Amino acid sequence: MGPLVPLQNISNELNLLIAFVIGLGFGIALEQAGFSSSRKLAGMFYGYDTTVLKVFFTAAITAMLGLIFLSFVGLIDLDIVYVNEYYIYSAIVGGVIMGAGFIIGGFCPGTSFTAAAIGKIDAMWFVLGSMIGIFIFGETYSIFQELHMSGYKGAVKVSDVLGIRDGYFALLLILVASAMFWLAELAEKKFRRDDITKEI
Amino acid sequence: MNPYLAGVLLGMVLLVSFYLTGRGLGASGATRSVVIGAVSTAMPEHAEKSQYFSKYLGNNQMKSWLVLEIAGVIIGGFLSGAWAGRLKLKVEHSPKISPRRRIYFATLGGLLFGFGSQLGRGCTSGAALTGMSVMSLAGFVTMMAIFGTAFALAYFFRKNWI
Amino acid sequence: MNTRVILTIIFISFGSIAAMLPKQKISSIQLEADDLLRDIKLRTHLVSTDELADLLINHDPTLLLIDVRDSVEYGKYHLPGAINIPLKELLDEKWLPYVDQLSKHNIFYSNGTILSSEAGILCRQLGFKNNFVLEGGLNAWFATIIKPEHPGSMATSEELDQYARRKAASMYFTGSSAATDQNSAPALPPVPRKKKKRVQGGCS
Repeated sequence: MGPLVPLQNISNELNLLIAFVIGLGFGIALEQAGFSSSRKLAGMFYGYDTTVLKVFFTAAITAMLGLIFLSFVGLIDLDIVYVNEYYIYSAIVGGVIMGAGFIIGGFCPGTSFTAAAIGKIDAMWFVLGSMIGIFIFGETYSIFQELHMSGYKGAVKVSDVLGIRDGYFALLLILVASAMFWLAELAEKKFRRDDITKEI
Repeated sequence: MNPYLAGVLLGMVLLVSFYLTGRGLGASGATRSVVIGAVSTAMPEHAEKSQYFSKYLGNNQMKSWLVLEIAGVIIGGFLSGAWAGRLKLKVEHSPKISPRRRIYFATLGGLLFGFGSQLGRGCTSGAALTGMSVMSLAGFVTMMAIFGTAFALAYFFRKNWI
Repeated sequence: MNTRVILTIIFISFGSIAAMLPKQKISSIQLEADDLLRDIKLRTHLVSTDELADLLINHDPTLLLIDVRDSVEYGKYHLPGAINIPLKELLDEKWLPYVDQLSKHNIFYSNGTILSSEAGILCRQLGFKNNFVLEGGLNAWFATIIKPEHPGSMATSEELDQYARRKAASMYFTGSSAATDQNSAPALPPVPRKKKKRVQGGCS
């Protein structure tokens, strides 16, 4: 029964090897999606390229459905799978700052590594910038500590908050995502920028 | 590759990660490990005194799950790019701005993202993508904050992109 | 039909199926229920008072006796070398290295068998190995080892042997050396740390 590493007491070395192989898959998927291009990523916010939305939601829904079905047939124990812990204020403020970083830099950490791997110099500067940003956070931590640690609600799941079953929420999300996919296609037609799309 | 197909592929990688290890993907944590590794080798006492960094000291920083995962990401991205013929050393920028301006903004964006990822406990891979697939509230809130802000600020930076 | 439409149809179909699935609590622990039942049937997790006496007399180094009664009862009398982990504290962080480990054989005991069985089953369900239960508890200990009953004139030779051994054990445990043991609880033995079960995740 999964997850295998905690339940089968798999050694740390093997766990690290698994991490590497999963990273390979992650990098390949990101690059194949075209995410090693900042102009493609930024296109999401200007309408000429909505790949980010399509890939993001498709991936999340695929994994979500996968987890629900694996759990149903008893192949995975969802209690052990990590659920992100909810600290209200730092999630929101951190998200806002990251959003600014996204539109200014045109990358997020994962895609910046993929882009740097294929030679994008701006991505390498992004990586450098993120290291500096983390260092600054560490140095000024005393100012932000209270914000960082307040509002702890535990590992809350949306389905618990809404009081519905996991499966219901998945269906809800799928319906919302389907609508968004449809809108995205409309947006790509309306905000078309062939001059950019053929370059990226 | 068709974005939907790429999305399914990414979702599968995520699912395999959950099945094998019980955790999803991540990226900003690896960068943090590198920073802490550098700080603790260059200025060890400072790292110990720092309230934030001292939390992560101890075991070999570079031997962490996320660092190895990102090593895989880099190599995987390289392989995929090589196979698709997309390898090229260049500064990618809109023809309306200079490469130097692009680099300034890339660095600034990185700085903000690095800072924000520590505050927000994750980035788009770890918090938003992984968080959404396990239906965590934190994941959704962080994702909405990231994308909402990016959309809101898009107008002000349009000159850099379109 | 383009990819988007196909994908949407597939997602909505699977999503609808997912929405109809009951809220099942599939847990990795439940699957061991069959093992648990088998153990109970085979009584492999029980240790008899005779076996315990042997282990104690031979100073078996892998033995760790755990008294699961409360501290008052423990203070009044406890088996030699036993440490006290009251049942309600069994899963506290500080005791976890003792119950979740692979080097010592833990034997839980209480006055009878109820409390110690509960401790044993709890640990077994959580996947901890090497935990046993003293069958009959202290009541049986007193009845068989400390004050063994002569099996009577119709006894078989094995029963007489067993009685002789029990008599010898009784002298061993009630001799002068046994008395001093009651005044102090033995120091907690050092235990190797076992890997934690919780998964780290996210970008942390």
